[in-house]
Amino acid sequence: MPWLERVLPLLGTVVVLAPMALTAILGLAALLRIPLGEAKTTRILEVGTICGLAAAILVLVGMLVGGSRHVTIEVGNWVLIPLHYHFSVKFVFDRLSVPFAILSFVLTGTIGTFASRYLHREPGFNRFFVLYTIFLLGMVLTSLAGTIETLFAGWELVGLSSALLVAFYQERPSPPRNGLWVWSVYRVSDAALLLAAVVLHHLTGEGDLDRLLGAGNWPYQHAAIAPNLALSVGLLLLLAAAGKSALVPFCGWLPRAMEGPTPSSAIFYGALSVHLGAYLLLRVSPLIDCSSWLAGAIVVVGLSTAVLAYLASLVQTDIKSALSFSSLTQVGIIVAEVGVGFRYLALAHIVGHACLRTLQFLRAPTLLHDYHKIENAIGERLPSGQTPLWSRLISPTLRTSLYRMALDHGHLDACLKEWVVRPVVRVLHACDATERRWTDLLSGEESRESDHVKLHYGMIDEQS
Amino acid sequence: MNDAVETKDSDKSLEHGSHESSDLLHIIEHAAHYLPAQGPITVFIHHNTLHAFEDLQFNEAVEIGGELFGTEPYLSEEQYREELRRGRIRFSELCEELERDLGPRGHEPIGHFGSRFKLRLAMLEYPHRQGSTSGLLWLVAEDKLLKRVRSEISESMRQHFVADTRRWVMRDLRAIRENAAGPGTTKATEALLEILGRFGESRIETWTSETWEGFGLQGLWRLCCLGVREVPPFTSPPPRLVRHSDLLREVTGVDSDERVHEILIRFCAAFLDQGLASWRLPHRDEGFFQAFCSLYRRPAFPRISWLQRLGVELSRLQDSGVSPLESIEESLEVLGVERHERSRFFSATMLALRGWAGMIRETELRGDRVVNPSPPGSLVEFVAVRLLLDRFALEECAERTIGYTGPLNQLRDRLRAQYEPDWPPSLEARAFQVFQVAQVMGRSLEDLYNLGHDEWKDFVEEIESFTEVDRRRVYHLAYERRLARQALDAISLHSRSSTSPAGPAAFQALFCIDDREESLRRHLEEVAPESMTFGTAGFFAVAVYYKGIKDAHFVPLCPVAIRPQHWVTEEFRESGDRLSERESRSRRAIGQALHRFHKGSRSLTAGALLATAVGVLASIPLIARTLFPRSTAQLRRFAGRFVEAPKPTRLRLKQDQTPSDVYTEGYSLDEMTKIAEKVLREIGLSSDFANLIFVIGHGSTSINNPHESAYDCGACGGSSGGPNARAFAQILNDPAVRSNLQLRGLAIPERTRFVGGVHDTSSDSIAFYDLDELPDSLQSEFEAAQEKFEIALARNAHERCRRFSSAALDLVPARAREHVEGRSEDLAQARPELGHATNALAIVGRRERSRGLFLDRRAFLISYDPTSDDEECRLLTGILEAVFPVCGGINLEYYFSRVGNSIWGAGTKLPHNITSLIGVMNGPSSDLRTGLPWQMVEIHEPVRLLFVVETTAAKMLAIMNRVDTIGKLCRNGWVQLAVMDPDGERIELFERGSFRPYKVRASTLPHAATSIDWYRGWREDLEFAGIVGR
Repeated sequence: MPWLERVLPLLGTVVVLAPMALTAILGLAALLRIPLGEAKTTRILEVGTICGLAAAILVLVGMLVGGSRHVTIEVGNWVLIPLHYHFSVKFVFDRLSVPFAILSFVLTGTIGTFASRYLHREPGFNRFFVLYTIFLLGMVLTSLAGTIETLFAGWELVGLSSALLVAFYQERPSPPRNGLWVWSVYRVSDAALLLAAVVLHHLTGEGDLDRLLGAGNWPYQHAAIAPNLALSVGLLLLLAAAGKSALVPFCGWLPRAMEGPTPSSAIFYGALSVHLGAYLLLRVSPLIDCSSWLAGAIVVVGLSTAVLAYLASLVQTDIKSALSFSSLTQVGIIVAEVGVGFRYLALAHIVGHACLRTLQFLRAPTLLHDYHKIENAIGERLPSGQTPLWSRLISPTLRTSLYRMALDHGHLDACLKEWVVRPVVRVLHACDATERRWTDLLSGEESRESDHVKLHYGMIDEQS
Repeated sequence: MNDAVETKDSDKSLEHGSHESSDLLHIIEHAAHYLPAQGPITVFIHHNTLHAFEDLQFNEAVEIGGELFGTEPYLSEEQYREELRRGRIRFSELCEELERDLGPRGHEPIGHFGSRFKLRLAMLEYPHRQGSTSGLLWLVAEDKLLKRVRSEISESMRQHFVADTRRWVMRDLRAIRENAAGPGTTKATEALLEILGRFGESRIETWTSETWEGFGLQGLWRLCCLGVREVPPFTSPPPRLVRHSDLLREVTGVDSDERVHEILIRFCAAFLDQGLASWRLPHRDEGFFQAFCSLYRRPAFPRISWLQRLGVELSRLQDSGVSPLESIEESLEVLGVERHERSRFFSATMLALRGWAGMIRETELRGDRVVNPSPPGSLVEFVAVRLLLDRFALEECAERTIGYTGPLNQLRDRLRAQYEPDWPPSLEARAFQVFQVAQVMGRSLEDLYNLGHDEWKDFVEEIESFTEVDRRRVYHLAYERRLARQALDAISLHSRSSTSPAGPAAFQALFCIDDREESLRRHLEEVAPESMTFGTAGFFAVAVYYKGIKDAHFVPLCPVAIRPQHWVTEEFRESGDRLSERESRSRRAIGQALHRFHKGSRSLTAGALLATAVGVLASIPLIARTLFPRSTAQLRRFAGRFVEAPKPTRLRLKQDQTPSDVYTEGYSLDEMTKIAEKVLREIGLSSDFANLIFVIGHGSTSINNPHESAYDCGACGGSSGGPNARAFAQILNDPAVRSNLQLRGLAIPERTRFVGGVHDTSSDSIAFYDLDELPDSLQSEFEAAQEKFEIALARNAHERCRRFSSAALDLVPARAREHVEGRSEDLAQARPELGHATNALAIVGRRERSRGLFLDRRAFLISYDPTSDDEECRLLTGILEAVFPVCGGINLEYYFSRVGNSIWGAGTKLPHNITSLIGVMNGPSSDLRTGLPWQMVEIHEPVRLLFVVETTAAKMLAIMNRVDTIGKLCRNGWVQLAVMDPDGERIELFERGSFRPYKVRASTLPHAATSIDWYRGWREDLEFAGIVGR
C-alpha cells in the first residue's frame, strides 16, 4: 500500500506538531500578555490534544494494517560534516514509541481536562497550562526521539516544566525549595545523558539511536558494540534514568515533588515522568544485551529501589507520599524487568501502572470518603497500622532502626547532602580561596572590591 | 511572673521543684489556649478561631491575634477602598464611623491643618503608601512622584498647588533670601534655594507649569525630610523576638526551624496516624516522648553531627528516666530562658508548629472523637521534644552561620547585638508619609515652610499614630455598618407589609436554621403560598450517637458542646430477614475486596501483578469520571440499584431495657415527649397543625473533598442531620407521645403525620424517610407537596448557580439542578458548593416577620414565638444558648479564614494532602492546615453576624446578664445585636453597652414579583427586597 507509506509520515508529523502548536499558542499568548481566559485555553488544549492523540492512534492503526513496524520522520540536519559528523532531528514510530506516545496523550489530556476545572479561578491558571503544554511537548519528543539529541531536547523540556510546576506556589518558601531540589537532581541526570551523547558521537559520529543499537526493529535489534563501551555508555544512561525515575540514590525527590496542585503531582511525577527513566532504558535495551555487567547493574538498581520504596511506602502517613513511594516500588520493578530483558512485559507494566496510579492520585483527596465507605461495607473499623509480619522476625532494635530509615526515605537525601553536595561545595570553596589568594598576591592588595560594597539604592531626591 | 530573680540553689530544693513544675505546667497549659482548637477533619466543627480571646473586645482581639499569629486582622486597606469605590462602603458612613471612633477628640485642631477628623479622613480617603527606603525609591521613580502631584487629587487642586508655589517663590522666598542672606539662613531656606538653583532660577519667568509642579514637589519633599528629622518616631517598636530561632532567622536568614520541622512533622504525623500507614510507629503506646527517644536515640546514618549529639542526649534522658517536664526545665536552662519570659517563650514555641501541636492537644482532650487518641500529657511531651530538637539544631546553625560555638544561653545576646530591626523607620519612609498627606490636604510649600517645631511634632505624631491597622478598623466598621443598616431597614420596612397566609396551612415544614435553607424556604413559600416553614437547630433536640444500617460505627449527631446520652440504631423492619443477611454478607465481601485492592495496589508483588494485568482498565473510570462526571455517577447509581433493593428500615428509638448508668439505648416515653414539646413550643407551632408536617435535616455530599464535613450540618457536629429529622418525625408520629403531648396542651390531630427528610445542600435533592408508613389517605396530599418541593429545589439550585462563575447566568432551573448535581459528583470540582459563605444575619423570631423578604441566603432563620414565651423568656434563653455558639462560630470561622486565609484559614485547597486521616498539609510536609480553604471563603464578606431577636431590649439584657456566654459575645462585640419589638416595627440596636433606638433611613423597600426576578443576571451580593408574588 504505497499511499499508506506516504500518509504515515504525515500523520506522524501531526503527532509532533500538535503539542508544539499548543506550546507556541499558549506560550506566545502569555509572552505577549494576551489573556486567553479559562474557556478558550481549555478549548485550545482539547483541540490540540485530540489532534495529536487521533494522529497517534491512526499511526498505530496504519502500522498494524500496513505491516510496517518502523516509520521514521527525518526533519533534517542541524549540523552536517559529510562522512564525519552529523546532528540530525529524527522521530521514530515503532512498537515502543507509539504506545508510549499514546499513553502520554491520553493521560495528559485527561489531566488537562481535570485541571481546567480544578484550577478554576486560580491566579496561576495560565502559568499552569503553559508549563503543562511544555511538559506534554517534552513527553512526546522524548518518546518519539530517533536521535539522542532529540531525546535530550524532550528530556530537558520535561525537566524544566516539572521543576517549575513543583514550585508552582511561589509565595510559600517550601515549594521553590523543593522545586530547586528536583531541578538539581534533574541536572545531574541531564549531565549524564549529555555525556552519553558525547560518547555516542565519538563512537559513531552521529547521535542516531539506530546506528548505536543496530539495524532491525525494536526490540529485535542487535547492537554491534564492544561490551566495555556498552558498559560505559550504559552506565551513563543508567545514571540519567536514575535521576529522572527517582531510582536509588535519587529517591528523595519524588515525595518533594508533591508540592504543586494535585493534578500536576498526579500526572507528572506519580505517573508519567517517573517512567521516563525506565523508558530510556527500554529504548536502549539492545545495549543491555551486550554487557551482562550493565544488565546486572540495572537489575540491582531496580530491585534496591523497589525494596527501599516499598519499606518507605509502609510508614508514610500522608496519602501523596504513600502513593509516590508505591509508585516508585513499581518503577523499580519495571527497571529490573528491563534489566532482565522482559521488554514487552516492562512496556505493559508501564502503561498499566501509569493509568492505575493516575487514577489513584487524582482520587487522593477523596481518601477519607473512601475509607469511610469501606469501613461501612465491612462493618467495622479498618485495622489501623500494625507491625508487618515479616518484621517480627528481626530484633526490636533493628526493627526500630528500619522504621526510622523508612520514615526518613532511606536516608538517601541525607547521604547525598553529606557525601556528594558537601564535598563538592568544599572543593569549590577551596578553589575560590585559592583564586583569591593568587589574585591578592598578584595585585598586592585585596583584590575583591565587591566584598566591601554595601547594597546601595541611591537617594530618593535623585529620582527627580 | 515578674519575680525573675531566682537563685540556682533554691531550684534544687525538692519542694520548690514540684511547685515549679506545676507552675511550668500551668504556663504551658495557658500558652496552649492559643493553639487552633480544630479536631479531626472528618468531623469539621465550626468554631471561633480566636476563641481564646473572647474576653477581649473584638477589635482588640483581632489586632492582638493578628500580631501574635502574624496575619491580618481585617481586609486590606486597598480592598476596603475598592469597596468604597463601588459603593459597598458609603462615604457618609465612613465619616460617621470615624467621628464615632474619635469621639470629642475629632474636633481638636492639628496645627494649621484643620481638625484631627479632617486629617484622618484625608488619610482614609487616599491610598497611603508605606514601605522601606528602597521600595519607596522604586515607587518614586516609577510613578514620577517628585515630578507630578499625586494622581488621585483633582486637577483644580493641582493648579492651586502650582499657583501657590509660584506666587510664594516669586514673591516671598526670594525676599527671604534677600533679608536673611549669610550664616543665619535656616536649613529649609538653604534647601529650597539649592533646588531653585538646580531648576535654573535665571529663567524662572519662563518656567512652565510642569516645571513649577516639579519644583514645588521637590521643595515639599525636602521640607518634609527636614521636618521629620527633628521629631521622634511615634509608632511603637515591634515586639522583642523571644525565640532563638526567630532571632537567628532575622539575623542570618537561616532557619533552624526548617531542620526541626522536617523531623518533627514526620514524627507528629506518625504519632497521630489514625490508620493511613500500614506500619505503626514503634513504641507509640509509651507516649510521645518515649517513642521519640526510642526512635532517634540510635546513631544517625549518615553521621550528621547534630543528630548524632541529639541521639546521645536522648539516650541519656531515656536511660536515666528523666521525665518530659524535667527535660523541659533542662532545656530552658540550656537556652537561658528567664522566668519572666517563659509565658511568651512557650506560646511562640508552640505556635511555630501550631497545627500539629493543636491536633495533639485536641486528640488528648477529646479522645472520644478519634480511633487512636493521644495519651494525657502528650502536649507537654511534644514541647519537651521540640525544645530538644531546637537546641541541637540551633547549635548547628549558629556554628555554621555566625561561627558561634558558645553556650546557647548567650546566643540571643550575641544575635541581638547584630540584629537590625525595621524600627525606627528610616527618615525617608517617615517623610514620605507626611509628603503624601500634605498633598492630599492641599498644603502648599509656604504652609510647610512656616511650620514651627511643635507644629511639626503635632503633625507628624498625628499622621504616624493613625496606623494602618487603625485605618482598616474604621473602614471595617463602615463596611459592617452599611450591611447592618440595609438589613435592619429591610426588616423594619418589611414588617409593615408582611402578611401570613390566611386559613389553615396546606403543609408545614421544619428546616434547620442554616443560612443555606433560607432560599429553599423562600422558594417553597413562593411555590406553595399556602405552606408554612419553621427553622430550628438541625438536630431537632435529638442528641444521639447514631449508627445506620450500613454504618460501621456510631457517630455523635448533636452540637459539639453536648455529649449525647442516648444511642440510636437503624434496623430492618422485619428482623432476621434472610435477604438482608445475604446482602450484608455480600457488602462485606465487596468492601473487603476493595480494601485489599487499595492496599494491594500499593504493595510490592501484588502491586506489580495488578498494575500489569488490570492497570490499563483503570483508564476507563479515569477518563469517564473526568470527562463525563454526571453520566458516570448516574451509571454508578443505576448499577448500584441492582446490587441492593432498598428495604424498609426503622430507627430503634424506644427503650427496651432499663437504662444503664452512663448511656442508654433509645429514649423513654417521657424523654421523647419532652423533645417533642421543646421543639414545638420553641418554634411556636402549638395549634393549627397541617395534615402533613415535614421535618427536613440537611447534609452535603461531594467527592475529592477533604473538607466535606465542613459543609454538613453544624448543629449535628459536622454530620448529616437526616437521622435526627427522621427520629424527630418518628417521635411525633408515636401515638403514646401524642397522647402525652395532649395532656400538656399540645393537641396534634390524629390525621396529622410527620415526615422526615434530608436535604442535600450540594446536589439540591431531598430524600424522605419512612414513606411506607404514610397512610393512603394522605398519599395524594404528599404527592402534591412533593411536587412543590421539587420545583422549589430546582429554583434553589438556580439561585445558587448565580454565584458559580462556571454556571451560565441564563440557565433555566431544571438545567441549574443538573449543574449542581454535576458539581457534587465531579472529582475535579474544588467548589461543590459554597457552604456558609456570605452569611451575615441571624433572625430569631416569627417567620411572619421575615416571610417574603429576599435575604439572599445570608441569614440564619430561627423560629421563635415571643407570644408563647413566659416573662423570664425561658424559651428564648434556651434557643439563644444553642444558637449563639453555633451561628457565631460559623460566622467567625468564616471571618478569620477570609481575612487571614494563609494563616487562620487553610489556604488554597489545590495542593492539600490528607495526612494521618486527621487533617491536611500543603504538599508533602507542612504544618497541619486548620480553618477553611480559600475556595470556601472566596466570596464571603467578612462581617460580624448581626443577630436580630424578636423581643424587648429589657428582656434581652436580662438574658445577657443571666447567660454569661451570650453576654460576653454581645458586650465584647463578637456579634452585633438588635432587638425588634414583638408588637411593632421598632428596632433597637445594641451599641457600646446599651440598646439605642434604630432610625430607619430608607423610605421604601424594593419589590419584585418572585425571587428569580430579583436576582436574575446578578453574581454579586444583592440588596434585600420584598417578594410580593404575582
